[in-house]
Amino acid sequence: MSHALRVFAAEALKQHRRLFGQPIVVFSMLVWPVLQLATTYYTLRPVATASPAAANWPLAADPDRLLAFLATGTLAYAFFFSLVQSAWHLSFERTTGTLELLFLSPAGRLTLMLANGAGALLQNAWLLTCFTVAALTGFGTLSVSAWWMYGIVFLALLIPAAAWGAFLNSLLVFSRDSAFLYTILDEPLWFVSGVRLPHFALPATIQVVGAVFPLTGSLIAVRGALLEHRTLAELAPTLLALLLLSATLLAAAALILRLGEARSQRTGRLGLA
Amino acid sequence: MPIAWATAWRTWQMTRRAYPWTYAVGTVLPAALAISLAYLGYHAIGGGTVAADFQQGSGTTAYLAYVVVGATAFQFTVRLILWSAKALITEQRQGTLGALLVAPAGRFPYLLGFTVFAVLSSLVEFLTLGLVIAALGVSVPVSSAAGALLGALALVAAVFALSVGLGGLMIAAGEAHISQNTVFIVLGLVGGFTFPRDYLPLWAQWFAELLPTTSAMDVLHGAFTGGQSLPDLLPRLGVCALLTAAYLLLGLLYLPRAEARAVERTY
Repeated sequence: MSHALRVFAAEALKQHRRLFGQPIVVFSMLVWPVLQLATTYYTLRPVATASPAAANWPLAADPDRLLAFLATGTLAYAFFFSLVQSAWHLSFERTTGTLELLFLSPAGRLTLMLANGAGALLQNAWLLTCFTVAALTGFGTLSVSAWWMYGIVFLALLIPAAAWGAFLNSLLVFSRDSAFLYTILDEPLWFVSGVRLPHFALPATIQVVGAVFPLTGSLIAVRGALLEHRTLAELAPTLLALLLLSATLLAAAALILRLGEARSQRTGRLGLA
Repeated sequence: MPIAWATAWRTWQMTRRAYPWTYAVGTVLPAALAISLAYLGYHAIGGGTVAADFQQGSGTTAYLAYVVVGATAFQFTVRLILWSAKALITEQRQGTLGALLVAPAGRFPYLLGFTVFAVLSSLVEFLTLGLVIAALGVSVPVSSAAGALLGALALVAAVFALSVGLGGLMIAAGEAHISQNTVFIVLGLVGGFTFPRDYLPLWAQWFAELLPTTSAMDVLHGAFTGGQSLPDLLPRLGVCALLTAAYLLLGLLYLPRAEARAVERTY
């Protein structure tokens, strides 16, 4: 266990040193999400302020509340997106030839994948968290049942995001065209998870597809706790489902790593198929 | 002109062989999702209606058609910038910029070749997008076909003019990721693509006037959903032509300096 913790700390530190202090972090975690949030807000404003909208969607009846709804979506999405980005960075190890060294080392594969995501997550997402909390408090649209619900919100974002990161990292390590996977996983992710629309607005098939992504559950928990005044007991089923989904993703990541490594030992190729 | 065709042909061969699907999916998917977002919001939340301030700003209640035109034009702009502005920095990254600079080929036709390729390949991609739009059952009214064609040409010219200077900036800074994404997001926010610019603060509206794509988008929206005829659209076309000429001139004046800087930095 202490060995795994040391590997975790070292890999997270490596990721931190590689990314921290670069302008790209400020842009991708603060400037772009905020500008994107404004674009989405203005694009949806005509329908959200139409006369039947208040009856259809009471949560976002006025423009401030619509902005708060979209801001929580942006926050959760940034958490998950920083992991897509970290997985993309991990695929550079493949091109630079250091991936083979990682597999030669006695470090646990799953620990490496988890640490790589966690390192990016903690240092990327704090920026947007600060911003969102400041903005939401400023609007006065927050409705939280207890102070420790903020902790629940943080965990509901962190644990599924870390599991998702480990899964993505394992998948990308064994794929050649990582840019393609990046496109596939970036854009549809916000669409099916209800980042920019409430769940009732999505067709049933998309809701089913969305249930596979942990971001969907995270968003329900975050919005429930921050905007809808839900208590822990009310959110318990969602949180339990999130925990199960996270465990499944971790198991899948471990399986991919085992299969991929066994295959590369046999064939000398880094690929799943 | 042979340079432009040769560049376009080379780019086509390269894309077809190395990345046949990456770019097509990267264009069609974001636009299709943006349109679907508007579609779902319009029906499930707005109940098939839009707020009154949308009609004041855009001159139409056809929200979905407005978003279809805007989202398609935006994705087209992004695609064009990705090809034309990133042409030089791609050469730099692959180590062929020096060879390009000593070759007896002008930079203007070279960049034009990329734009020709981008426009032609985007047309194919937008046919696919048309299927998505048809499947959603959105019909886009056309009030002036000639205006729409001129608006599309104006948008191509405006984006090309913008790309010349931007490409120079990229090789001078040796960086493309931050600059390209910032340009995309700022354009999407202030350029009047998917919502009327009246929603923005006044300073942002004035800033948008400095971008050549804004007036081109006014022409496109006016010619499709705005119900305007060709004479109504001419003033904005004129503004777009002036801004495009200014951007192109500045870009072409700046490009040799940027190239000099890029080469001095490398060697």
